[in-house]
Amino acid sequence: MKIGGRSCCWVLLLWALAGAQHASAEPYLAVQQGYKCGQCHVNPTGGGLRNDFGAVFTQNVLPAHAFPGDAPAWTGKLGDVVRLGGDLRETWTRIDVPDQDTQDGWDLQELRVYGALEPIRDRLYLVVDEALAPGNAQTREAYARYADPARGWYAKAGRFYVPFGWRLEDDGAFVRAVSGINMTAPDDGVELGLELSSWSLQLALTNGAANAGTGSGSQVVAQSVWTQTRGRLGLSAAYTDAEAGARSMAALFGGLRTGPVAWLGEVDYIRDEGFPEGTRTLTTALAEMDWAWRKGHNLKLTAEYFDPDHDVDEDQKTRWSAVYEYTPMPFVQLRAGFRRHDGIPQNDFDNRDVAFFEVHGFF
Amino acid sequence: MRRRRQHVAGLAALALAGCAGNGEGLDAGGRPVGEGGADGPLVATFESIQAHVFTPLCTGCHAGATAPQGLRLDATSSYDLLVGIASNEAPGVQRVQPGDPDRSYLVQKLQGSAAVGARMPLGGPYLDQATIDVIRQWITDGAARTASAGSVATQSFALAQASPANGDTLPTAPRQLLVSFTRDLDTTRLDASSVHLAQVVEPDASTTRPLGVSMHAVVANPRALVVTPRSALAPGRYVLQIDAHALADLDGRPLGVNAGAGTPSGVRIVFDVEGAQ
Repeated sequence: MKIGGRSCCWVLLLWALAGAQHASAEPYLAVQQGYKCGQCHVNPTGGGLRNDFGAVFTQNVLPAHAFPGDAPAWTGKLGDVVRLGGDLRETWTRIDVPDQDTQDGWDLQELRVYGALEPIRDRLYLVVDEALAPGNAQTREAYARYADPARGWYAKAGRFYVPFGWRLEDDGAFVRAVSGINMTAPDDGVELGLELSSWSLQLALTNGAANAGTGSGSQVVAQSVWTQTRGRLGLSAAYTDAEAGARSMAALFGGLRTGPVAWLGEVDYIRDEGFPEGTRTLTTALAEMDWAWRKGHNLKLTAEYFDPDHDVDEDQKTRWSAVYEYTPMPFVQLRAGFRRHDGIPQNDFDNRDVAFFEVHGFF
Repeated sequence: MRRRRQHVAGLAALALAGCAGNGEGLDAGGRPVGEGGADGPLVATFESIQAHVFTPLCTGCHAGATAPQGLRLDATSSYDLLVGIASNEAPGVQRVQPGDPDRSYLVQKLQGSAAVGARMPLGGPYLDQATIDVIRQWITDGAARTASAGSVATQSFALAQASPANGDTLPTAPRQLLVSFTRDLDTTRLDASSVHLAQVVEPDASTTRPLGVSMHAVVANPRALVVTPRSALAPGRYVLQIDAHALADLDGRPLGVNAGAGTPSGVRIVFDVEGAQ
C-alpha cells in the first residue's frame, strides 16, 4: 500500500486535529494532545495494540523524520478483520548498589505481539497480547470486547489490564509497582465501560492478582476520568478481597499541558490488612514532566515518593529519574536514562543507581 | 511569561516530592528493630531469609492483596505461599519444593532460569550467588519454617544471636558478652586471637583501641561463647569482631561458610555503652 495524495491529506488532517507541533509517546502523549487513551489504542483504557489512528500517529507525528511520502505505510491491519502490532525492548542496564559489585549487561526486556480480530467492525473485538520473551510465551491479555459506538458503552470479558491510575510504561514506578496494577499483572474478569465526549468510566470485576491460581476472592475496580484539551483528572478506587487480607486502594491522578510540556501526577492511598499489627497504610506518589522540545525528542523527569507504612517513621523511599527519548524514525525509539533511588541507609538495595539505554522497536 | 511561571512551579513541585527516611530505629527491612529479625548475617533459615531478602527486597511489589501472581512475601504470608505451593506461571513446579532447589520455582526466578517471565527482582539488581546459595541451602535442608534439629545438621555455621546485638545501646556496661552460633563450636580452636574487642576512638570512627578479653565456651550450650572484657567498659562505642576463620564447627567449617558454597564472612557487632559499669 502506498501513501498517495489523499493519504497525505489524511495524515495532515490528523496532525492538525491533534493541534501539536511536537509529539512523544505513551500516557503523557495523550495529555500533550488532549486525547483519550482509546484515541490511539484498540483498548479504550490504553496500552498495547494501536488502532488506525495510533499507527498513523507513530509513523508521521511521533518520529523526528517520517518516511518519504511514497514509502509503504503500516496501519496494523491485514485485510478488514485482522490487526497486528508488537513491541520489542532490548535494554542495557547498569546497576550500582552501595557495597556490592556493579551489575551491567544487555537484556531482552520484552518481546510482545498483539493481535486483534474485528469480525463486526467497530463493535466486536477479540484481542490477544502475548509476551514471547523473556522466558516462554505468556498470555498477558486475551479478551472479547463488544461496543456500542453510538451510545458509548462497551463490555469486556477475559484477561486484561485493570484500569487504575496512569497506565505507565515504567512498571517499576512506585505508583504501579506498589499498587500491583501494572502491565505485568493482568487479571481475569469482566469490565464495563462508558466513553462519553469528556468522560471515561470503567467498572471491573476480577479475581484480584492475589487470588490468582489457588486463591479465592474477588476484586472490584472503578475509575472515572474527565478529559479536556488542556488536561484531565481521574479518580480510581479498588477493593480486593483475599484470604491473606483485603486491600483497599484509591488513586487521584491528572495531567496538564503547558505548551510543549506535559505534567502528570498521581497519588495512591492503600490500606492492607493481614499483618500481625493489623492494618498498614501506604502512600505512593508520582510527579512527571515531559518536555517535547523538538519533534521526535522528549525529556522526561520524574519524582516519586513511597511511604510503606504510615505508622512507622523515617521509612520513606524516593525515586528520581531523568530519561531522554529520541524517536528518529517510525518504528524505532532510543531511550537513555538514569534513576536514583533513595531509601533508609540500612538497605543498600533501596539506595541504588540505575543507568540504562534502550532500543525500542514497535509497529 | 505566564507559561514560564507554570513550568517553574511544576519543576518546584517535582523537587518537593519528598525525602527518603533516615531509617532511625529501623532494620534493613524498614521495620522497627526487633520486629523483623534482621540482626546478624544471612543464614539458611526461613526467618533469616525473610528478614534479609524477602522483606527488604521483595515486599515493595509482593505485598498486599494485589501482589503479583498472588505471592505475598511479607513475613506473615510468605512461608504459607511458598513452600509446597504450585507456581502460577508454571503450575507443574512448586515455588519451593523442600529438598530440591533446582526444581523450586523461587530459585529459578532468582537465577533467571525460570520457564516464564522475567528474572527477579524485576529490573534488578539481581541477588548475588552467595545469597542465592543460602536460599538453596534452606531448601536443601527441607525448607523448614523454623530451624529444627533435623535441618541444623546441614545448615550454615553462622551467628545466631548476640547480646548485646548489633546496633544496641546499653544504659550500663555489660560484664560479659554472649555470642551464639547455629552449630556446635569446635572449642579446641578457641584461643586469644579468635575474638577481638575494641573501643572506637572518637572522633575518627575508623580508629579503634584494642581491649583485652577472655573467653570460654558454655558447657551447657556448645553453640555459645562468652566473652569477658578484662576491664570495665567505659561509655563509648565498641566493636566485637570475630574473623571468618577464627572459629570452626565440629565439621571443620569456618564461620560464615554455608554447607553448599559461599564466601566466608565473619561477625562484626557494634554497640554503644551509655553509662559506666
